[in-house]
Amino acid sequence: MTTIPVVYVKGQYNHLIVRNLKELGVYSKLLPPSVPPDELQSIDPDGLVMGGGPQSVRSPNELTGELADAARLIRQVKLPMLCICVTHQLLATAFGGVTEAARKPEFGPVEISVIEEGRILEGLGPSFTAWESHNDEVVKVPTGFRVIARSSNCAVEAIRHEDRDIFGVQFHPEVSHTAKGVDLFKNFLHIVEEHK
Amino acid sequence: MGERLSVAVQGFHPSGFLSEETARLRELAQDRKVLSAISGGVDSTVATLVARQALGDSLLPVMIDTGFLRLGEPERVKERLAKSPTLLKVRLVHASGRFLASIKGETSAEEKRKKFRETFYQILKEESVKEGCEYILQGTIAPDWIETQGGIKTQHNVLGQVGIDPAKTYGFKIIEPLADLYKDQVRALGRHLNLPGELSERQPFPGPGLLVRCIGNVTKEKIRVLKEATRRVETSLSPFNYEQYFAAVIENKFSRNPSLKTISEVAGEALGLPQSDVHVEIFEDRVTGVKGDQRCYGLLAGVKLSEESRETYGWLQDRLRQLQTSIVEKYSDITRVALLVKERRRGGSLSILVRAVSTRDFMTAAVSPVPWKILKDIAHQELKEENVNRVYYDITPKPPGTIEFE
Repeated sequence: MTTIPVVYVKGQYNHLIVRNLKELGVYSKLLPPSVPPDELQSIDPDGLVMGGGPQSVRSPNELTGELADAARLIRQVKLPMLCICVTHQLLATAFGGVTEAARKPEFGPVEISVIEEGRILEGLGPSFTAWESHNDEVVKVPTGFRVIARSSNCAVEAIRHEDRDIFGVQFHPEVSHTAKGVDLFKNFLHIVEEHK
Repeated sequence: MGERLSVAVQGFHPSGFLSEETARLRELAQDRKVLSAISGGVDSTVATLVARQALGDSLLPVMIDTGFLRLGEPERVKERLAKSPTLLKVRLVHASGRFLASIKGETSAEEKRKKFRETFYQILKEESVKEGCEYILQGTIAPDWIETQGGIKTQHNVLGQVGIDPAKTYGFKIIEPLADLYKDQVRALGRHLNLPGELSERQPFPGPGLLVRCIGNVTKEKIRVLKEATRRVETSLSPFNYEQYFAAVIENKFSRNPSLKTISEVAGEALGLPQSDVHVEIFEDRVTGVKGDQRCYGLLAGVKLSEESRETYGWLQDRLRQLQTSIVEKYSDITRVALLVKERRRGGSLSILVRAVSTRDFMTAAVSPVPWKILKDIAHQELKEENVNRVYYDITPKPPGTIEFE
């Protein structure tokens, strides 16, 4: 059985990610970002999903303990990784990008334009409706990453690493109102299985 | 209702869940007596039935009449659950006076919720001592602890997950067989347990009940008006099969914050209407919302359009969504937007808010497109109530709103 734990950073939808993965036949459970490396090893994960949360990552030097731990995981873990909402922003800043207060925050349904489907957004283009809830946004994408989706309010809705299987999405594929969210999880699962 | 009955929940296997959970409960409770806290809702009913399979007659179902339930609800629930196939002998504890006294003078939503929780567990403590029960069983589900832990709102049935040890504080231990499930999974489990549709598909009702739909200060008159409005709104909207629909009450007190002055312009622009056609007021009492995964105890904007525009825009859900989005994006302190359906010029000091949403798991919710004619009919009925002079329709999804108002 494929194992994909979800790192819980106290977001409302983190547990829904577990539910989505279980529905796809994956073994999943919530883990705190402070999970020690040997404990993570013992679960023998094939990939990792990082959830959203209420914290801000605008100042990379003033992260909450939870997000500092999550950033450490992002840097250390070498598995396929999907980072959602605040950890999408954290992914960008951990690799040298910048997150700031959004000019226009987004709450509820948003139309997402796909720039490049690639493997993670396969079948989601040219556009789809996703639900969001964010006050901040990525304004500078780090070197080595590409923007693969945008919206009319937010220029960086999704990013991917150019060589590794690391992805970040500003929107929430795990909520039921993001109708195509389950396709994104299926795509991620394929990527994880190919990586095994 | 019929359609939802046939929907299987992917990846969730009621029979597997049931055998694992009953084994765990037997191991946990051994032969000790367990008090089951019942509300008549699907969560606590299903939790009780799961536990009864494991524990049999050592389970004692108790329902507290908080005074914030629907008209006639406690008696109706007791009677219904006594019948086949549930056959639960529920003992009613009348405590409406105690609950009302405990929240007297409180206007803050979180304080009201915390006082409610305290009274709720004090009563359960007294009952558990009386019955010699070491364990309390409750129907807490995933959104309850997620929202409480995330600081969005304090649910009345969450203790351990927010660091309150029930054994130390109240002298009993807690069992939550459904804590990992969402509402649609609980319903599937209920159907598996042969619960009739009227129980397994029952409309959700918050634990603190009408207390969290009586926005701000709580008075006997506001609760009375709200009970009547609840009956009328539920009757009018039940044929539409929305996952959640209800009425709330708020006092017509408005904020004079000058920074909000431009808001009528913003609203007019969003709808493409001249400013003379749009008038926005901000209610003084705050309502609960969630913005960027954070609690936002924010303001409620009431939008009044000229009567002619109302007749047009009342039907146009997409335009109403634009109206709501443009206001909430621009003003960080506003969480929710409601559209005036109808008003009466003279008399009355209360507004009724009508809310209807579609949702699978109660984590996100879309505004249900209630036909404008139905809203007008509801408003027409509602305005016959002496103390009510306005009726609004909430046009806010979750996020940035929450499903309930407080």
